[in-house]
Amino acid sequence: MKVSTTRIPYLLLTCWLLTGCSQWRYDMGVPISSNNLPAQKTPLNEVLQLLGPPLRMSASDTGFIMAWEHWDIRENSIGITLGALGADFFSADWGEMRVKGEFLLMTFDHRHLLTSATHSDWDNDGGGGQAIQPFFSFISVVDVEDLIGPMPQHDWGSLLLQADLPSALNSGSNSDTGQEGLQQRATPKAVGQQSLEMD
Amino acid sequence: MHKSTLLIALAVCASLLGACAQFESKRGVEVNWQDTVTDELVNGTSTRKDVLTLLGPPSQVIALGDETALYYLFEHSEGEGLILIVYNRMRINTRYDRAIFFFDEHDTLTEFATRLYPADES
Repeated sequence: MKVSTTRIPYLLLTCWLLTGCSQWRYDMGVPISSNNLPAQKTPLNEVLQLLGPPLRMSASDTGFIMAWEHWDIRENSIGITLGALGADFFSADWGEMRVKGEFLLMTFDHRHLLTSATHSDWDNDGGGGQAIQPFFSFISVVDVEDLIGPMPQHDWGSLLLQADLPSALNSGSNSDTGQEGLQQRATPKAVGQQSLEMD
Repeated sequence: MHKSTLLIALAVCASLLGACAQFESKRGVEVNWQDTVTDELVNGTSTRKDVLTLLGPPSQVIALGDETALYYLFEHSEGEGLILIVYNRMRINTRYDRAIFFFDEHDTLTEFATRLYPADES
């Protein structure tokens, strides 16, 4: 079938209105140099001079723990929707996420001497999905919310003032208070320190 | 002008007239830990009261047995985006300005460190 040349612009315009491609890039923190990790028994002040203040910190039984992190999150999605034509009842979406990150964990004893240092980095598929939603768009095919949230220190004060009793009891097991250990972003609630909290 | 040419021109113009966006988000305590301020602090001499007077209330207080640590955090996100309907791109950079101060059981400053990105120095 031969398409009339006068119809091509209409087809192009329709395609332009129907499809969309979105890219989101989140860069949180600065890369960590892992080439020269401090040796055991390095004093705290030398570590702080090298890396600056940590992003996460918690007391521990043998001293304290510090962590530095860097995240690079890439979210790509493409979708077809009739929204641009004024009809918000059909959408087809595809999306994927790539997560790169670094985490440096150090432990110190009560004399402020380094007892251990561990560096890890990763470049993983962070998930994604496809959806055809005929009436309303209920589901986002890529979910990055738990990775891009603000640091827990901003909520420290309000956490201690939570009035309802179960939450107050939970504060002792919450990793964001800085007294009971720490956890990375995106740690599921069913594992690690947070699993000690009550629902 | 031919009708189809006009339509193509309109589509191209619409693409070129796409929007751009810029935003920023700031969270945390006011940044008061510039070098000119922290130069007044001396390990072994300055007290917790001195630090609180200079910097104000911290983001977090961490109890470390007999010691305490005051932690200050300022989170600064900057985003910029290109919105062409067909292709949209957003880039968000987040930086963390922070300072930490350690005190012994007598509330005397033992160690401290700060990190401040140039954009937040003023």
